[in-house]
Amino acid sequence: MVVAMYAKQNEGVHERVESKVLVSAKGLTKTYRRGTEEVRALDGVSFDLQQGEFTAIVGQSGAGKTTLLHLLGCMDTPTSGEIIIGGHSTKGLSDRALTQLRREQVGFVFQHFGLLPTLTVMENLLLPTLFSKREAKARANELLEQVGLTQRRNHHPNQLSGGEMQRVAIARALINRPQILLADEPTGNLDSVNGEAILQLFHQLHREGLTIVVVTHNPILADATQRQLVLRDGQLVP
Amino acid sequence: MTWAKIALQNMLRRKLRTFATMMGVAVAVAALFSLLAFQRGYQNGMRDELDRLGAHVLVVPKGCPYDSASMALHGASWPCYLKSAYLEQVRTTRGVSVAAPIFMNALYESNGTQQVYLGINETIQAVKPGWKLEGSLPTKTGEILLGATAAKNLHLQIGQEFNLPAIPGERGKVCGVLASTQGAEDAFLYMPLSDAQRLFKRPAQLTHILVRLQDPNALENVVEALRGCEAGMDMNIVPLTHLFQTIQGLVNSTRLLLGCIALIALIVAGAGVSNTVLMAVTERTREIGVMRSVGASTSDIFRLIWLETVQICLVGGVLGVLTALIGAQHLEEWLRNRLPFSPSGALIHPEAGIMLLCLLGAAVLGSMAGLLPAWRASRLSPVEAIRAAL
Repeated sequence: MVVAMYAKQNEGVHERVESKVLVSAKGLTKTYRRGTEEVRALDGVSFDLQQGEFTAIVGQSGAGKTTLLHLLGCMDTPTSGEIIIGGHSTKGLSDRALTQLRREQVGFVFQHFGLLPTLTVMENLLLPTLFSKREAKARANELLEQVGLTQRRNHHPNQLSGGEMQRVAIARALINRPQILLADEPTGNLDSVNGEAILQLFHQLHREGLTIVVVTHNPILADATQRQLVLRDGQLVP
Repeated sequence: MTWAKIALQNMLRRKLRTFATMMGVAVAVAALFSLLAFQRGYQNGMRDELDRLGAHVLVVPKGCPYDSASMALHGASWPCYLKSAYLEQVRTTRGVSVAAPIFMNALYESNGTQQVYLGINETIQAVKPGWKLEGSLPTKTGEILLGATAAKNLHLQIGQEFNLPAIPGERGKVCGVLASTQGAEDAFLYMPLSDAQRLFKRPAQLTHILVRLQDPNALENVVEALRGCEAGMDMNIVPLTHLFQTIQGLVNSTRLLLGCIALIALIVAGAGVSNTVLMAVTERTREIGVMRSVGASTSDIFRLIWLETVQICLVGGVLGVLTALIGAQHLEEWLRNRLPFSPSGALIHPEAGIMLLCLLGAAVLGSMAGLLPAWRASRLSPVEAIRAAL
């Protein structure tokens, strides 16, 4: 296991944390076709993510941020290059194995929340456990308390505010105790107050040692992270 | 939270669309259920009626044997007759155990009620071993044996004298009452054969002869012998097992035709269900992407969509069976008015086995109809599904 040292100045305080690499991206390239045109969404992207690191992926629209996030979350496979999670390459893994990785190692949060409208808050929270066949009622209650929605457990998504829906989505992403939380524009559909609440929640999770990667256009959220990966035209800006 | 609950909730999202789809399945299942229940009811009814007749062979005047059989079973006024002299030839044919002569006539009372009279003699008991009789058979002039329903409707008891219905000026005395046989003969009035021939002005004539054989396995030989006797050219020899098989064959042909229609209805309903679920999959593409992102495998997605389809078809199947049960009485009346040889018992005979078969059919339909949408949904890659709706 690769062990690295990194430092970051955050709010004037120098932190020095000993950590290990959780995710390693090596020469990631992703191309796809749009009609007759070939689009290169990512072009040779390489970086490491340390365990417990809070990272933002920033860049203009179309820079390849969401594509990179999908590759990190095993939602998609790179055209070339490889991703190593926990020391194991995902290259050539079957769909079943990638599903297993998503189920056990990754938590996903979407801009559009991605809650199922027919399910209650509690049922949405427990949805991943239906697929992982785990008993997680106690964990769900704990998470609901953590995101402050215990009283809303039996409500449906259409009875919640945007901020509350995103908190449910974050709780759902954490139900299987993932190694890494991936969030795609988590504050994109929220007002500043709810955006701030989500930011505080991320900080809390980060303090608890969770590795978090957010794709964002929100400068406040980006600035609050330990590290920013800037993408431009599919390439990492040094 | 269970798979079934999620599938059910998805099903209830578009209630009207789901209901319309279910009704398509319900109509097809109701048709299938009614068809099977009719086949069973007709078969049972026909067998019971022929068993009640008690004979192995029916000897009737020349003409359509099926019309004659229907008249002998249900009671009617006959258009042609046998000579009484033929009875002796039938009785003495090798292999015949009993030959019971019958003279039947049906008259209408002023209120339109049909009254069926049968002239019989003591040989009738040999072909009707199941008859339970209170009193005695009519042997003397003026004696009348009443069927159970006739005794009840006319409010008569043994020993009472009464005016014979639909025969002005004629009186009779009740000599016996039959226990119910659950057939048309419960409404008949029986009198001595000679009385019937005299009253209906057909001396030395019969409407039919009921024949029991010494050995039912020798049916073919006896029928051949009866057809070959001197009176054979003037009589129709109708083996009742053949009659049953022939009528059942006709019913089976109709059933095959109706079965094809029911099958087409099932296929159309299945296509409708498949189309509805495909639409639902398209509408919920992003949700499928979300489920894939939180750990659902391709088989999980397949299972969920397939389960939804099976649920729609099963609920549709239950609705169809209920609709068929509720409408059974009306269908029975409708069929009875159109079928010439319909037995007097229930024509529609719903059984638990038929219900289970129909529900199983609905489940199989759902399983087949769900394959395409479930396969398409499971084939969506997570990222394609997420992107599709953005």
